[in-house]
Parts: sequence; structure tokens; C-alpha cells
Amino acid sequence: MLKLIKYEFIKKYKSAIIALIASAVLNLFLFTKGVAGSSIFLVFFPMVMAVVYISDIIKMYSDDLNKRSGYMLFMTPNSGYEIIVSKLITAVIEGLSILLIYFIYVLINGAYIIYISGAEINFNEIIITVDKLVSGSFGFNLAHVFMFLLTALLFLISFITTVYTAMTIRKSIFSEIKFGGFLSFLIFIVLNWAISYVSSEVYNLLTPYYNSFSMSRPTATELVYIMMPINIWSIAQSIILTFFSGYLLENKINL
Amino acid sequence: MDLLKIENLNKKYYNKIALKNINLSLEQGKIYGLLGPNGSGKTTLMKVIAGLHNQTSGNVILNHQALSYKTKADISYMPTENFLYESFKVKDAVKFYTDMYSDFQEANAYKILKEINVDTEFKISKLSSGLVGKLKIALALSRNVDLYMLDEPLNGVDVLSRDVIMDLITRSYSETKTFIISTHLVSEIEKILDSVIFLKDGNVELSGDAEELRLSRELSIEGIYKEVFKNA
Repeated sequence: MLKLIKYEFIKKYKSAIIALIASAVLNLFLFTKGVAGSSIFLVFFPMVMAVVYISDIIKMYSDDLNKRSGYMLFMTPNSGYEIIVSKLITAVIEGLSILLIYFIYVLINGAYIIYISGAEINFNEIIITVDKLVSGSFGFNLAHVFMFLLTALLFLISFITTVYTAMTIRKSIFSEIKFGGFLSFLIFIVLNWAISYVSSEVYNLLTPYYNSFSMSRPTATELVYIMMPINIWSIAQSIILTFFSGYLLENKINL
Repeated sequence: MDLLKIENLNKKYYNKIALKNINLSLEQGKIYGLLGPNGSGKTTLMKVIAGLHNQTSGNVILNHQALSYKTKADISYMPTENFLYESFKVKDAVKFYTDMYSDFQEANAYKILKEINVDTEFKISKLSSGLVGKLKIALALSRNVDLYMLDEPLNGVDVLSRDVIMDLITRSYSETKTFIISTHLVSEIEKILDSVIFLKDGNVELSGDAEELRLSRELSIEGIYKEVFKNA
């Protein structure tokens, strides 16, 4: 499976380098516009990258399902499960990489904004702020941040698996129907509706469980328990959809 | 010994039946010609065996194993279309095959590519259709497997290169390897065929030993082809 992931990145590394260079050049240009320019970059970069990212992870799988080049992948002796999991891992790594790049831009632009606004960097203050964050003096601490990041990551994975499952259903069960792209989108909507319906039923059952927590200012431990059903649901949804997609790729695919 | 056994194979699409109740047994060490006009089901049959399409019903058994991702390791399939990643250079495609197939003979691939004048530094998107054809066949024949399926290997290839490709196929043949070659250029290929399978509208119209068919019908395989498909 590592080889599959390796080739996913080989296929897209040139576009990634071009996108990175273009964003760096744009950022440098906006530096010349002062604080406003740097701030605008930090606001719009994640929006643009979210669109680029979603388009790219859809294209990554869609090309293999709908273009002849998909034969390269599907002729190899890798199971449908390995193929779909490799796509999923690639998409998650790509998402995390974009997040990391944004974090680096935040640091660079933040330092630049402080520099041109004439403010002095007070390292003692930074250390005190970090200490407060760790100790929870802000009302939340690193454990809270970690829980939110984990929930976001699991949500991202469940979102990608839903998109990929919709595309797999279209290319297996409905492989000979026209308007493939539109049909994939329609399946995605129906799939999401079904998942939302089931999840709302589950959450209704969990209402007494949630009522036992102080929702306004939960402690880190309480937050773990509050998030747990959501995270377990995301994990279960991702596993079920991944296995379903793997099964379809293995037994019903028509390229 | 039977290498490939196809039993009651059907492939239906929503409004079309592509393969109708196909029953075939293919022996090890033979070269089979899969012959028929466009739309007769040759490519669909190959894609089912290669695992790119799933059959509607019936069984395909390769080396006593039902088709699965595992049997893909025993099949070298060359589709008729250009299926190679266009952003790759020729050497990247060779590396891909080396990484993905444990039976792939990288040195042999480079040897063949040199012999047929395909520059490994060239980008695949820049290659002519003839060079792509040569590259595809070099990759397919550099694997060491039981079953080779070549879908229209002479398509888009000039007359001189056809001889080179035919030579590569005959040199790759051994008594342990089975070849299925689909083509409508029957005259070019009939001299290397041991057996022929004529497909018409998804049915096996005629099959058998090439020499026996020639003798019994007093026609070349191309002549039999014209007779079988005269109204197709």
C-alpha cells in the first residue's frame, strides 16, 4: 500500500510545488501592501486552499475511475480495500500538509506584521501565554485544542470517505448510467442525508447522556466524554464506508 | 493443461448484452487469436479476465483460482488504449511496473526499449501513437507471468514496427506462457496463432485449433474470418 501512496504523491508533486511557489510569490507581493496585504493573504489562503484541496482529492480518485489511466492502478495486484485506503491516507496527508503550510504562513506573516507595526516581540510574554494555555488559565487548555483538532480530523476523514463512496457507487452499481459527475453528486447528497438521519437518531438516544455534562464550560475530561460519541460515530462511519467502497471496487467495478 | 477456464460467462450493461454465455478452456503454452469485428466483445472479455470489469454471471478460473486481485499477479494485460500516466516519462513507467509487479524484469524492459528505439527520457504525452504502442508492449512482455493478453497490439503501429512487435511476441513465448491476442488485422498475426476464437455479438461463433480449421475449411484464418463475419 505504501507504494500506492508513493505514486499518488509522485503524480501530484509538480502541481503541489507550483501551487506552493505561486502562493509564496503572492504572499511576498502582498507584503509590499503592508499589514492589510499580509492579513488578506491569511484570510483568503485557507478559503482558496479548501476549494483546491476538495477539487484535488475528488480528481485524484475520479481520474482513476473515469480515465483510461485508471487501468494503471486497477491492473496491479492490489485489493480494492488497499486502493481505497491508500487514496484516503493520501488525502489526509495532503490535508494535514496544507494545514502545516498555513501554520507556517501564519508564523511568517504574524512576525512580519509585528515587525512593520513597530511592536517589539516580548519573549517573556510568549512564554507566559504558553504557560497559561498549558495550565488552562484561559478557560481552555491544550487538551481542549487537541480534542477539537482530533474531532476535525475525524470529520475530515468521514467527509472524504463519503465523497469516495459516492464515486465508487456510481462507477460500480450505476456504471453504465450517463451524467456520471452529476450522479456522483446526487449519490453523495443521498448518502449524506441517510448518514444525517441515522446520526440524529443516535444523538436523540444520547440526549440524557449529554444532559449530564456542563456544556457551557466543560473541563478537559468532560470534553473528551462530550466529543466521544461524535468521534466514535465518525470513526464507525469512515470504517463502514471504506469497507463498502473496498467491496465494490473488489467485486462490482466497471472501469 | 487448462490455464484459463471460462464457464457460462455473461456480461450485461443496462441496455446491452456484451458477452453471452461464453464457455472456453485455454491451455497453457498456446497462442490464441481472439478475433472479431469492432463491438464483438473482445475487449470486454479481456477486461473481465483482467479484473477491470466484473462479470454479470458465470465463472472465470485462472490457475484453479477464481478471479480476484490476486490473479492479477498472473496476468499481463495490454489494453488497446493509451492507459499510461501521461505526466510520466518512459523511465517512470518502467519504475512503476518494477514497483508494482514482483515479476517485472526491469533490465529486459530497458533492453527491449533500446531495441525498438523508445527513448526512456521521453515524456509519454509527447510520444506518437506508434511509440506508445511499442512502449505498452515492451512493458507487458517484460513481465514473467502465465497469461498475456494483448488487445490490438498492432493498432496505430506502422508496417515495419508491426514486424518488430510480432518478433517480440514470438521471442517472449515459451511453453509455460499463454497468449491471447485480439486483433482485426488477421493476416498479420495468423502465422503465429495456435488456436482461434471468433467472437460475434458477444457469442463464441467458432473456436478451435488454427491448423485444423485451415485444413477442414481449406481457407486461411483470414478467409475463415471473412466467411464468419461477412454479414457482421
